[in-house]
Amino acid sequence: MLKYIISLAFFLGIISLAAQSKSIDTQSKDTVVYEQAYGLRVGIDLSRLVMSSLNENYTGLELVGDYRITQDLYLAAELGNENKTQQEDLYEFNTTGSYLKIGVDRNTYANWYGEQNLIFYGGRLGFSTFGNTINNYQIFDNNRYWNPEGFATASETPEEFNGRTASWIEALFGTKVELLPNIYLGASIRLGFLFTDANEGRFPILYVPGFNKVTWDSKFGVGYNYSISYFLPLYKKKNKVKKIAGEAVE
Amino acid sequence: MVIEFFDVNDRESPKNVTALRVVGQGQTITVNTLADRTNLNLITVPLKTSEDRTGFLLISNSDDNDDGSEIGNIDTVTFDYARLEDFKSRACGFIVNYEELTGTLQTDTNNWIQEVEIIRSEIINSDSTHVKIYH
Repeated sequence: MLKYIISLAFFLGIISLAAQSKSIDTQSKDTVVYEQAYGLRVGIDLSRLVMSSLNENYTGLELVGDYRITQDLYLAAELGNENKTQQEDLYEFNTTGSYLKIGVDRNTYANWYGEQNLIFYGGRLGFSTFGNTINNYQIFDNNRYWNPEGFATASETPEEFNGRTASWIEALFGTKVELLPNIYLGASIRLGFLFTDANEGRFPILYVPGFNKVTWDSKFGVGYNYSISYFLPLYKKKNKVKKIAGEAVE
Repeated sequence: MVIEFFDVNDRESPKNVTALRVVGQGQTITVNTLADRTNLNLITVPLKTSEDRTGFLLISNSDDNDDGSEIGNIDTVTFDYARLEDFKSRACGFIVNYEELTGTLQTDTNNWIQEVEIIRSEIINSDSTHVKIYH
């Protein structure tokens, strides 16, 4: 009996030695590679659609799109058209035109595994061609002696200013959240700086399609959009692992 | 438009008009930019923004008689001009500036005004005198 116990102990010892001879791999390679989807996202601005249906003096449409080029960087563009009539105190005018904005978005949101959401900042170059029409206007006069009932009407005949252009740059901050697979809901706020001199000519530029309201004596403007878009995945690519500076390279 | 009154005999020295009353031609009330029936040598009057001509009845020694009619000396001066529309601001919209201003005195049997002289034919603000009237 003792003989068996000794030989069993010996045997187990050999087994354990044999097992020990092969070192335990505590850093085994994960062979499952997570690949991120790259592609084109196209959509439409919801706010301009809603405004068009609620406000009879406004119709607008904006198509939005972006194309992912690196892990964080997206080429982005907006293409739109607006027709807006505004009644000011002493004049009513219309602005009708189209615009195009091109730029980049940079995602700053570190997604969890499987997520593809964006919290981004970006920049755009904007360009618009449009026309103004003054539908009617009165003459402002700080003395009411000659027109006690109201300001003198100067014109009821529409006066057109065609072929106007404006360009600007825009800084924006926004988000795009994947609501359903490949369906994204987005929002952005934008601060624009107008290059064009708005006060030239008989009638100044008071509104630029895409840029929004031009504030008197100011180059800055603000805008926003709420978009819904569809992401069309074109290919998948592994995320590049960033090398941490100072780490020994084998 | 700023009108200044000078002495016709000493053309450099301002001269008050006694009990001056100013009524716009076609209006029934006095001009609202000066104190009625006071002695003044400088007044500001409003021009029409919708027509190229504005007339004023300038009344010196203005007073009413017992039945309420004017007994002062009424002289009529008509101003003609060209109007220039200018977009002032987003809030105001268009205003009118004036240029090519001319003034005409209607002669009657007893004019108290002797001469109307245009100093500045462009009216963009009310900072300086545009018209000198000698009496």
